[in-house]
Amino acid sequence: MNLSLSELAKKLNLPESTVERWIKQGRMPVHKESGKCIFNKSSLIKWASKHNLKFMIFEENNKIGDDKKELTFLSSMENGEVFYDVKGEDIYGVLENAVNKISSFDENQKKDLLAKLIERENLTSTGIGNGIAIPHPRVPVENFSESAVITCFIDGTVDFNAIDGKPVFILFILLSPSTKEHLSLLSKLAFCMRDISFVEFLKSKPSKDSLIEKVSEFENKS
Amino acid sequence: MDSQLFHIFRNTPLGRETLLQSIYFSKQTNASLNIYIPKFIKFLMYFDNDVVQVDLDESYLSSPDTALDRVKNLVESNGLSANFIEPKNFTASTLPDIPVNFDFMCSPRSISDLTSKIGLGHIGTRVRRIVQSAKFPVLITTPVYSEWNNITVFFGGSHNSIKALKLGIRLSRLTGKELFIFTQLDGKKREHYQEILEKEELQKEINLMVTKWNFYGSKSFEENLYNVPHDSLAIVGAYGHSVIKNIIFGSKMEKIQSTIQNNFLVVGPNYGQVS
Amino acid sequence: MRKLFSLRSPSRWFFFRADDRLLLILMGIIVGICSGLAALALSYSLETLLEFFHHYSQHWWVFILPAIGAALSSFFLNYVLKEGAGHGVPEVIYSVSRYGGLIRLRSSFSRLVSSCLTIGFGGSAGPEAPVVMSGAAIGSNIANFFYLNDRQRVTLVGCGAAGAIAAIFNAPIAGMIFTMEVILGEWSMVNIIPIAIASVAGAETSRLLVGNYIKFSHLTLNTNFIDMVACFGLAAVTAIVSILMTRMLRNMHHVSEKVKTKPWIRAAMGGCLVGLLGFQVPEVLGEGYHAIEAMVQGTFKAGLLVVAVAAFAKILATSLTLGWGGSGGIFAPCLVIGSFTGLAFHRLLVIVFPEIAWVNEGCFALLGMAGMISGILQAPLTGIFLIVEITGSSEVMLPLIAVSSISTTLCHYFEPASFYVKDLVEKGQLLRPGTDERVLTDLSVAELLEFDCVVIKKNMMFREFIEVVKSSKRNYYPVENEDGSFAGIVYFDEIRPYLFDTLMYDAIIIEQIVDDKVRVVNYTDDLSEVLKTMDNNGLYSMPVVSNNRFAGMISKATILDHYRKELKVQTT
Repeated sequence: MNLSLSELAKKLNLPESTVERWIKQGRMPVHKESGKCIFNKSSLIKWASKHNLKFMIFEENNKIGDDKKELTFLSSMENGEVFYDVKGEDIYGVLENAVNKISSFDENQKKDLLAKLIERENLTSTGIGNGIAIPHPRVPVENFSESAVITCFIDGTVDFNAIDGKPVFILFILLSPSTKEHLSLLSKLAFCMRDISFVEFLKSKPSKDSLIEKVSEFENKS
Repeated sequence: MDSQLFHIFRNTPLGRETLLQSIYFSKQTNASLNIYIPKFIKFLMYFDNDVVQVDLDESYLSSPDTALDRVKNLVESNGLSANFIEPKNFTASTLPDIPVNFDFMCSPRSISDLTSKIGLGHIGTRVRRIVQSAKFPVLITTPVYSEWNNITVFFGGSHNSIKALKLGIRLSRLTGKELFIFTQLDGKKREHYQEILEKEELQKEINLMVTKWNFYGSKSFEENLYNVPHDSLAIVGAYGHSVIKNIIFGSKMEKIQSTIQNNFLVVGPNYGQVS
Repeated sequence: MRKLFSLRSPSRWFFFRADDRLLLILMGIIVGICSGLAALALSYSLETLLEFFHHYSQHWWVFILPAIGAALSSFFLNYVLKEGAGHGVPEVIYSVSRYGGLIRLRSSFSRLVSSCLTIGFGGSAGPEAPVVMSGAAIGSNIANFFYLNDRQRVTLVGCGAAGAIAAIFNAPIAGMIFTMEVILGEWSMVNIIPIAIASVAGAETSRLLVGNYIKFSHLTLNTNFIDMVACFGLAAVTAIVSILMTRMLRNMHHVSEKVKTKPWIRAAMGGCLVGLLGFQVPEVLGEGYHAIEAMVQGTFKAGLLVVAVAAFAKILATSLTLGWGGSGGIFAPCLVIGSFTGLAFHRLLVIVFPEIAWVNEGCFALLGMAGMISGILQAPLTGIFLIVEITGSSEVMLPLIAVSSISTTLCHYFEPASFYVKDLVEKGQLLRPGTDERVLTDLSVAELLEFDCVVIKKNMMFREFIEVVKSSKRNYYPVENEDGSFAGIVYFDEIRPYLFDTLMYDAIIIEQIVDDKVRVVNYTDDLSEVLKTMDNNGLYSMPVVSNNRFAGMISKATILDHYRKELKVQTT
């Protein structure tokens, strides 16, 4: 088959000048004819693997990277659910009730998640102040493809040992498949929580739709 | 990487004209100047599939003490800076190797023979060899410095002239100068040439960039050459359809270079689109 | 007609596309025959010329002949063909190591004619190097004609050299070994086969045209144990003579360069001196094969002193011829000097230990030749196989191996590089395949450029810069002036202390933290130089600047990455 020099170089993931020089020096089974690189596909693939190079000839239809949506707080909100009037006397009670409400989880998963959340809570409180807490597992959740934020408005308030000592009225349970996404989610959440007007808005216990609307406003701002 | 222009400095008034031409060219195309001030009468250029020995004529070596200052004066007074080539490798002790990874080379019509022979219809044998082997096009200048204000590509449908056309489009884009195409019909129809371009997927660019495509059919080639603007840079493929294309210049090329007095950019058979 | 032209690109034919070994073998045969013919043409015309001038050897003016020859050959090389001088082999090695064996077309006959003039008129030089040069140039140009690539061209250059040596000595193995050992410096299977075939073709050409004539086939060479012991002495002596000759040849160059005159006049002066020397010791004139024959056959009757003097006279004559501008090689003079040395050593042994029955003097002459070749060219295998082939017997093998290897080792101690590559080594131009220098020379700065750097402006505020830092992956930030020219580099390490100090955000502009004295790389810089600068200054990355503009970064990590790929591609 034949390709132009730049296409061939891209497929081999090498600089064009290197490929051109190797062809000239006769180091690869390709030869040039009026600007085109002509080669036998199987022998080139063989050559490439012999020299620890990759020849990505089938790459064209493979677009994993582009399909993936960019991770945003908004999309995670949409993935998760919103619960109102979650009951509970203390941290553990609230968490247990919250986890039990998650509809997409079976019993085992719920148990597992709850244990992880409590484990994290015992380390230090996840109450980040202003009446907000963000419970999350210490290690990423297994078998989990997309990040989700589960929002739980607590019935009344609960003492969460938060850093500023204020009782907590809302939980954002962060579930993410990797530490990297978790960090990015956390930083985006923190960005919103810094805004007093947003906190006030949360205290009004808005519906899921209006919550998401507000969040998307914030996303666009940043 | 910006384009590189290679120039061999000849320390004579004629050489000054050529250098001015190089300076003008690099100003227009934003190319950096690489100047070689010869210290030996000959040098080698190792191309991909050929090695060319260039024997300069004696005037290249005259008064070596003034050469560097003269070049610097000329280049700097035009607001440019030049890179001077010092040969690093020597095939024999008096035979330096000059690098060949340039994008253009500027040369008068002859670099080995007597300068008195320079005139219409004469291109020196060494210049021909360089055109034949080089990956870069060679700018063959007029004896006297003359600016060019537009570009004319000679397009005859051959593989080489397509390369010339692509180069013309690139230069026209770089310099912002008008681009004309000159086609001698030779009994074929206009559509024939347009089909060739469509095959190369050039049609769109042509419509966008080319000011005018002139077809000439009725008169002889030489007569039609009068229509080439006098201040135009002529871009020519060195070889056309001829079978013995690897040995001598094409007949069209010879006719053009012996008829019109413009600056030429000659595209050789090994020229490949670099970027 | 068009079809005819496609014949010129056989590498594109379907048949050869998958594997070019068959193509190379075919080409090797062609090249071997051509270079064999060139070699025969030279040796035939040399014989004719020497024969012709032999009749005049009694006249008084005969000393002027080498002068005329050297002047003519120098004139021919410098003015008719405009070649740079030199006896050729270094040029072949140079072009093989740096330019994929590209050699000028004119080289395929220039050295033949010029050396023929030099040697035919009585100058002391050898026809082998010119023949090797021609063969190599023929191979190179045939490769060009058929549009072969660099690797194939190098093989054909080797084929040419091998065919030439094989034809001139009627010694195919020596031709092959010489090429591998001296010209290519690499023993790879892909090369050996075509070169062996070319050797055979060259030798066969010579056998067809001149007859299968093995020079010293009827010698009896039964060496005893005691001869073996004597070999060690001989090896030491040949090593000393080799070093002497190497030094003499090189110094003669420096002496002659002090005479400021036209090259052909200089050559004539050298030739005159050789001619005068030839009055006293006629054996030094010409390539000297007659003298070798006489010595090996045992018909050279002169005593120890005369032989020793003759050896030194030959060294002097050769340096005078070559050092002053004559054209030719050192291979044949080496053989002559070697046989003189061997003979002298034998005479000495007979005088000191008259009671021992030494093997005949011809055997020592042969061993001396091998010792000299191994010493000067540092090519022990070439010496061994050449002698084995010109005697047509392997009886002499043991002492040969001993003499050759010891002589090479001793010479290597004093002269680390062989005569052929000495100049190249001094200039750092000897790039043997698979070596560090070779890999670094092939890689260029442009190939290694990294473009993922974010270029910032000099007048940027630190606060804006923090945003840039957030979104970039590198620890280096190239800075440019307002007009786009390169200003310097901001190192992440250096700004780390201020990074968390929000007070600084609006107090600093980039201009204040830029390092404007960074070392920069140009596109034309050699990679070995770049690496040396990095090592000496403890740098891991350097900016590449072209035309006063930032072009990209070059870093050790990328160099290593490409270096590995390159090494792998070059060696397997």
